[in-house]
Amino acid sequence: MSDANVKELGSASIQRPQIAPLTRMVVIAAICLIGVGAAPFFMDAYSVNVLVRSMIYASIALSVDILWGYLGVLTFGQSAFFAAGAYATALVFTYGGFSAGNALAAVLIGIAVAVALAGLVAFLAFWHGASSLYASVITLVLPIIVTQVLFSGGTYTGSSSGLTGFETIPLSSEAWFWAVGVWLVVLTSAAWMYTRSDAGRLLIAIRENEQRCKYLGLNTSNIKAVIFLICAAIGAIAGWMYANYTMVVAPEIAGFTFGTELLIWVALGGRGTLFGPVIGTIIIDYASAQLQGDFPFVWKLVIGIVFVSVIVALPRGILPLVSHAANWLRVRTGKAQPQQYAQLQLHKASRSERNIIAAESSGPALIVSGVEKRYGSLEVLSGIDFEATYGEIVSLVGPNGAGKTTLMTCIADGSKRSGGTISVAGQDIGHRPPEECVGLGVGRKFQMANVFDTLTVGECLQIARARLDPLSKWQKSGVCSLPPSAMHVVRATGLHTELHLPAQVLSHGKKQALELAMVLALEPKVILLDEPTAGLTKAERTLIGTILVELTKAEQLCILLVEHDLDFVREISSRVIVLHQGRIVLNGSVDEVVNSELVKSVYAGSGH
Amino acid sequence: MVPVLLDIITTAAILYIVSSGLLLVFGVMKLINFAHGGLMTLGGYAAVIATAMGMNPWIGIPLAAIFGGIVGLGMERVVVRSLYDRPLDAILATWGLSIIIGQVITLVFDRGVHFAEPPIRGVISILGEPYSTYRLILTAVALLLGVGLTMALRGTSLGLSTRAVIMNEDLARGLGINSGLVRSITFTLGSGLAAVAGALITPLSSVDPNMGVAWLISAFMLVLVSGSSLYSLAVASVVLGGAQVIVSNYFGSVLGGMTIAALAAVILRIRPQGFSYE
Amino acid sequence: MTEAVLAVNGLSSGYGQATVIRNLDLKIAHGEIVAVVGKNGMGKSTLLKSIMGYLPKFSGSVSMAQHAISESRPHQIARLGVAYVPQEKALFQDLTVEENIRLALRGSVSWNEAEATIRRCFPFLLKRLQQKAGTLSGGEQKMLLIARSLSVGAKVLLIDEITEGMQPSVITNLVEIIKRERDRSGLGVLLVEQNIPFTRAVSDRYVLLDKGEISGFGNTRDPDTHDKIAAHISL
Repeated sequence: MSDANVKELGSASIQRPQIAPLTRMVVIAAICLIGVGAAPFFMDAYSVNVLVRSMIYASIALSVDILWGYLGVLTFGQSAFFAAGAYATALVFTYGGFSAGNALAAVLIGIAVAVALAGLVAFLAFWHGASSLYASVITLVLPIIVTQVLFSGGTYTGSSSGLTGFETIPLSSEAWFWAVGVWLVVLTSAAWMYTRSDAGRLLIAIRENEQRCKYLGLNTSNIKAVIFLICAAIGAIAGWMYANYTMVVAPEIAGFTFGTELLIWVALGGRGTLFGPVIGTIIIDYASAQLQGDFPFVWKLVIGIVFVSVIVALPRGILPLVSHAANWLRVRTGKAQPQQYAQLQLHKASRSERNIIAAESSGPALIVSGVEKRYGSLEVLSGIDFEATYGEIVSLVGPNGAGKTTLMTCIADGSKRSGGTISVAGQDIGHRPPEECVGLGVGRKFQMANVFDTLTVGECLQIARARLDPLSKWQKSGVCSLPPSAMHVVRATGLHTELHLPAQVLSHGKKQALELAMVLALEPKVILLDEPTAGLTKAERTLIGTILVELTKAEQLCILLVEHDLDFVREISSRVIVLHQGRIVLNGSVDEVVNSELVKSVYAGSGH
Repeated sequence: MVPVLLDIITTAAILYIVSSGLLLVFGVMKLINFAHGGLMTLGGYAAVIATAMGMNPWIGIPLAAIFGGIVGLGMERVVVRSLYDRPLDAILATWGLSIIIGQVITLVFDRGVHFAEPPIRGVISILGEPYSTYRLILTAVALLLGVGLTMALRGTSLGLSTRAVIMNEDLARGLGINSGLVRSITFTLGSGLAAVAGALITPLSSVDPNMGVAWLISAFMLVLVSGSSLYSLAVASVVLGGAQVIVSNYFGSVLGGMTIAALAAVILRIRPQGFSYE
Repeated sequence: MTEAVLAVNGLSSGYGQATVIRNLDLKIAHGEIVAVVGKNGMGKSTLLKSIMGYLPKFSGSVSMAQHAISESRPHQIARLGVAYVPQEKALFQDLTVEENIRLALRGSVSWNEAEATIRRCFPFLLKRLQQKAGTLSGGEQKMLLIARSLSVGAKVLLIDEITEGMQPSVITNLVEIIKRERDRSGLGVLLVEQNIPFTRAVSDRYVLLDKGEISGFGNTRDPDTHDKIAAHISL
């Protein structure tokens, strides 16, 4: 299709060059670099010394913030990767002596060990179906094991007293200050660009609703694992700097207590803000060094109290509070500018070749044969057999507990059924997880509107397209290509004027429409809709119904609909399947089903 | 062979004592109390106070229960209550509370190691092998604790309400059970138990402001593999505690130190519900 | 009409942002049995959950006699004398029959009084007090639910689709028991149903619920009751 990417204006938001925030970031980074360059000339030697360490800690706190604040993985174990880098350095220098080559080897070994450990953790923690608590537990076990390994190294690793007295990169404190300062500014800028980019929004989407991401065809386990490995490498580099700079390593740096201290710094600074954790870490570590001499225990007590208060009362940390106050001040002084939203353009996407071939092929879109589902001895579905073709809306009806949603789940997730086969567009779904079933052409809309609340409407749509149009990793692309069907829903429901709004402020009906558009953006062949009209007004129901009928005809989609509103079913379905107690009791035209005595008795109670 | 067997039994008993309070809180509130370690430390210092004041060492135990209960009640009222729907934040906040407890203790005492008078000294001969009397007493205490908690949960009206809240909180509320009050009482009781455990282990471990941390991790792992059942906790204590003793004996105490954590992580990977039979 | 034991005024409620119940008015008089009839997904269970305090009330109020209970929490509402029988997961399967009943007894009702109620209504349960509730058959579990709600000395009973999957003979028995206990204690009953014969046999009045709003009502003794309800709930 050559007429693809016909430009179509989406949001009417303020026309503003995309470069503005980027420029601001470059300016801020430049100011920070100048500050780093100048600072040693205005500070005493002790402060410079302490701040080098504080900035090293800040760089690892940044990696904790990416994992916890953005990806939602609460990690207690970042200290283990720090120790991997630090101990690799200490061991290489202790046993190989210092040389430039060894310094390079040390950082590479450190990163390799950290990444290998992180790979093991990711394998355990992010497998399909692992809970977020389990992931945290694994990150808690890691530092305990690493600490014990360091202890068991005996004199080789220095056991409990660690290693000292090795020769390292011969730099003055000031030079270290500059090196670490530049690294921190570059790292923070890179992280800022990544987290603001389209791909960075995906991290938030995973944090908000990992299940929805999987049903958008995204392999979230892999994404989490890759980010985890990168953060492990950042931790190892910080450890390498630490060992080079302090010339001391001890098992405490691998420990759970240090891992938790990183969390405290991030929480106080403000999780999910990058700058907050960096600034917070520097301030807290520097202040600790300054105050620890005079009030050693009171200081830690104060940190503890502030930490608990922040977790309870300010879950997003102190930085957002400061920026809110700044905004408030700007409003008061009349300098406030209207909030600028990034502009997003909607493009028409070309339908993928595969889809067209599938639509023109003659076989059924969906074949369900002999499907069963059991929970222990409880049989929820048994002997489910039916087919559905392209261009058909098949409604699944039945009383509560008949197994309708369970059947949907079995079609969308190959690992869920206990028996039978399901094929979509001629391909057996086997035991594929949901993200792979999407690849075969299954799109699922959940019962309760299931969108990413803190992302904008436009970002939700972009993430829905991420499977087909890879997301930019370094910028906001400002465009989103949608297939005609999704575009139709967006325009018909007026969502195209609301692309810049956070999804959580949408009305319930708009959320349902957004989720439908997100599912259509996947270019599915078989769409599973679980009560798409629940909680909608009459007008909204009619609109959704009309759209579904149009789409089915125009795009030759196959729609399977679970619905309680039988008026709605009657209006739009081409066929109705009645489920009762886990079995199909009737499969026929709307009229047949409506006039069936059997169905009346199923619905009206057995005593009729 | 006999000493190893006795070590396994007594280690399991100690782990059971140390974990039961955490399990109670986790079972009822679905919340992981990372202040458990801090509360154990508090209990340890209760024993130190009893010694310092020249009291009978056994007095340290009820004293610890009172300390732990009061501090626990305060924590539930002020902090934990607002975090019921944020379980990961609750872990962090209770860890923060643990830091506060540790620092207050450091301010009152100091960072150094303190000693509490053991309630009983000496050894007893079991099948010709001398063995620490106190460890054997702890085994009896663990049995009493297990039986006592089970009876309290089964036999009393509060216990019945507590079990109802564990099984289905919404349904319990609909029957007129004040689940908030049940949670509050549970947290207080769990905190008291943590402090008692801290006092009970003073003869085996030095008392310092961080004594609870190592125990916290073991207790946490045991609770994760036990779900909310006191019976599963007993099984988990024997299996993991036994593994720890065996690994320590044959591969050194360093590897022994990570046995519980590593084994629990593997068990949970293979069987997410751990030792609970549901 | 005597004084209302339960009054719902202009209630709107739902889950999150989705409004399921819209501006609904309903009164249950002392000793009255009212059935709310509607298809699945029309908000029947939501109505009971809102009255019981499980769901936030967006607007409107609920009161019992003089007590406003709009802001009360479920356990407080239960203690004021509302016995709620949810449709699903309404028993503690791992607790015994006796424990399931004892849990619901507050200070005002002794075990002996509860036992007397059970003897009157479902004597078979007395032989099985020490059995786990989960080992009872489906129908027996439903009877235990009703036994529990009748033995706590409630003023109002909220029952969510108790007849689903019940045998007709059991339903007949249930109708008798509910009416007899109502006559004894002046209990007000609000039940949510899809079973037409049960609804006609047990209730005094019915209201039809459609998409969270009342779309019709009537006296159950009216001759057109069956047809009106059937038209409302069938396809």
